Amino acid sequence: MVLEVTAKDSDGKELFKSEKKWFEIGVDPDRDMRYGAWQIKGIIDLTLPPLTTQREQYLVHFDTDIDEVTVEAKLWYYLSGGRGELVYEEERTLDF
Amino acid sequence: MHPALVRKKNLLIALLILFACSIAQAREAKTLAELVAMFDDKQCAECHGEIYSQWQGSWHAKAVNSSLKGMRNFIAVGLAKEWQTPLTKAQLLKCLDCHAPAVNFASEELAVEIGELIVTAFEEKGSAQGVRAAETLAKLNVGCYSCHNIKANGVAPGLRGAPAEKVIYGPNGDDGDDFHQSVASSDLQTSAFCMQCHGVYHAPDGETIQCNTLSGSYRHGYLAAGGSKSCQDCHLNKGHLFPGGHDLETVKEGLGLRLEVAPYQHLPGQITGVKNPADWVPSAVITAFVDNRAGHRIPDG
Ligand code: HEC
Ligand code: HEC
Ligand code: HEC
Ligand code: HEC
Ligand code: HEC
Repeated sequence: MVLEVTAKDSDGKELFKSEKKWFEIGVDPDRDMRYGAWQIKGIIDLTLPPLTTQREQYLVHFDTDIDEVTVEAKLWYYLSGGRGELVYEEERTLDF
Repeated sequence: MHPALVRKKNLLIALLILFACSIAQAREAKTLAELVAMFDDKQCAECHGEIYSQWQGSWHAKAVNSSLKGMRNFIAVGLAKEWQTPLTKAQLLKCLDCHAPAVNFASEELAVEIGELIVTAFEEKGSAQGVRAAETLAKLNVGCYSCHNIKANGVAPGLRGAPAEKVIYGPNGDDGDDFHQSVASSDLQTSAFCMQCHGVYHAPDGETIQCNTLSGSYRHGYLAAGGSKSCQDCHLNKGHLFPGGHDLETVKEGLGLRLEVAPYQHLPGQITGVKNPADWVPSAVITAFVDNRAGHRIPDG
C-alpha cells in the first residue's frame, strides 16, 4: 500500500515527491526479517489499521517563478511481489 | 481363566484391533486418486453449477499451486536444512491443513509423496515431469468438502462432534436430493469458521505458523473498534468467488482517498534557495486522507 504525492509545474517537471508505505515485516525469534510462514514468529505491523483514517500532511514551498502547480495523490496497492495497481487518484491545479 | 478361553479372548482382542484399524483405513487414502475420490468436488458441479464455477475462479480452488514456491521452500529449506527433520505427514500438514485439508485423510506414505510432488512441481517447472506434478497437485485445494465437511465443525468440535462422512454442513440443512444428507450448522456463517485458516496456526506439536494473520487484526482492530460485520458479510457478495486482494473492485471498496490542498504565499526572505529572495514564495499545505474500510489491516502479508 503506497500513497504517492507529487507536485509538478506546467511543463510536467517534478517539484515535490513523497511516498508513504503501509506494510508488515515478519521476523524470526532472533528478530531477523523472514518470508517463510514457518520462520515468522512475530510481526512488525506498519499496515493501515481498520476503521481508521490516516492523515498525511506536507508543507511545500515552490520557487518564486512558479505560477502553476499540479498536485497529485495516488494510492497504489501491491500484492506481494506483484506489480502495483492504481486504486485511486486525485488531482488539484494551483495558480499562484 | 481356562487357557482355551484366554486364547479365545486374545483372538477376540486381535479381531477388535483389526476391525478398528480397518475403520481408520476406510478414511485413509493410499493413492492420490483415492484421496481425490473421497472428496470429489466435481460431483457437486452437476447440481450446483453456478457455485462450482464461481469457486473455480477463486483462490481457494488453486490453494496449493498458487503457493508452490513457499511450500517447496518449507520442505527443501525449512525441514531439510533448518530443522534437519524428515518430511512427514505431520510436518506437511503444517501447510496443507489449510491449503488442502483433504490431506488429513492421506496415508503417511501418500502425504510424503505429495510433499515430493510439491518439490518436483517447483524445481522442474516447465519440464514434462514438473508439469505433470503441477497438474496432479491442482486436484488438491480448499474445495467444497474442505469447508462443508472437513472444517465445518472445527469451530466447536466438542459441541458438534467430528463431521460425518459424506454429510454436507450448510446454513439451512436442506438435503441434496438423493445425493447428500445435510446438517444445518450456523458455524459456517461465523467469522471463527474462516479464522481457522485465516489466522495464526497452532500445529499439534505446538509450532506456530504465520501465513495469513489478518484474523488477529479483525478481532483486535476491527471488532474492538466497534466493527460488526462478519467475514461472510464482506466476502460472499460475489458468491463462492470469495474476492479479496486480487480483485480491484474489492480493494476499492476497502479503501478511500481524499486530497485537500490549501495554497498561500509565504513571506519573502524566509525560505532559502529560491531564485528571488525578495519575492513572495508560492506554497501549499497538502493533506491526504486514506481510509481503511475493510474488516482488518491492509495489506496482509
Ligand atoms: C480450509 C482453510 C480455509 C478456510 C476454512 C477458508 N479459507 Fe479462505 N483461503 C484459504 C487459503 C489457503 C487461501 C489462499 C489460497 C491461494 O493463495 O491460492 C484463501 C484465500 C482466501 C481469499 C482470497 C484472498 C485474495 O488474495 O484475493 C479470501 C477473500 C478468503 N480466503 C476468504 C475466506 C472467508 C471469508 C472464509 C470463511 C467463509 C474462508 N476464506 C475460509 C484457506 C481457507
Ligand atoms: C492457518 C492456515 C494456514 C497454514 C497452516 C498455512 N497457510 Fe499459507 N496461506 C493461508 C491463507 C489463508 C493464505 C491466503 C492469504 C491471502 O490471500 O491473503 C495463504 C497464502 C500463502 C501463500 C501466498 C502468499 C502470498 O502472499 O501470495 C504462500 C506462499 C503460503 N501461504 C505458503 C504456506 C506455507 C509454506 C505454509 C507451511 C509452512 C503455509 N502456507 C501454512 C493459510 C495457511
Ligand atoms: C472457503 C469455504 C467454502 C468453500 C470452499 C465452499 N463453500 Fe459453499 N458455503 C460456504 C459458506 C461460508 C456458506 C454460507 C454462506 C452464508 O449463507 O453465509 C456456503 C454456502 C453454500 C451453499 C448454500 C447457500 C447458497 O449459496 O446457495 C451451497 C449450495 C454451497 N455453499 C455449495 C458449495 C459448493 C458446491 C462448493 C464447491 C464448488 C462450495 N460450496 C465451496 C463456504 C464455502
Ligand atoms: C443430485 C444433485 C446434487 C448434488 C450432486 C449435490 N447437491 Fe448439494 N444440494 C442439492 C439440493 C437439491 C440442495 C437443496 C436446495 C439448494 O440449496 O439448492 C442442496 C443443498 C446443498 C447445500 C446447502 C445445505 C443447507 O444447509 O441448506 C450445500 C452446502 C451443498 N448442497 C453442497 C454440496 C456439495 C459440496 C456437493 C458435492 C460434494 C453437492 N452439494 C452435491 C443437490 C445436490
Ligand atoms: C468490512 C468488510 C470486511 C470484513 C468484515 C472482512 N473483510 Fe477481508 N477484505 C475486505 C476488503 C475490502 C478487502 C480488500 C482490501 C485488502 O486487500 O485488504 C479484503 C481482503 C481480504 C483478504 C486478502 C488480503 C490480502 O492482503 O491479500 C483476505 C484473505 C480476507 N480479506 C479475509 C477475510 C477474513 C478471513 C475475514 C474475517 C476474519 C475478513 N476478511 C473480514 C473486507 C472485509
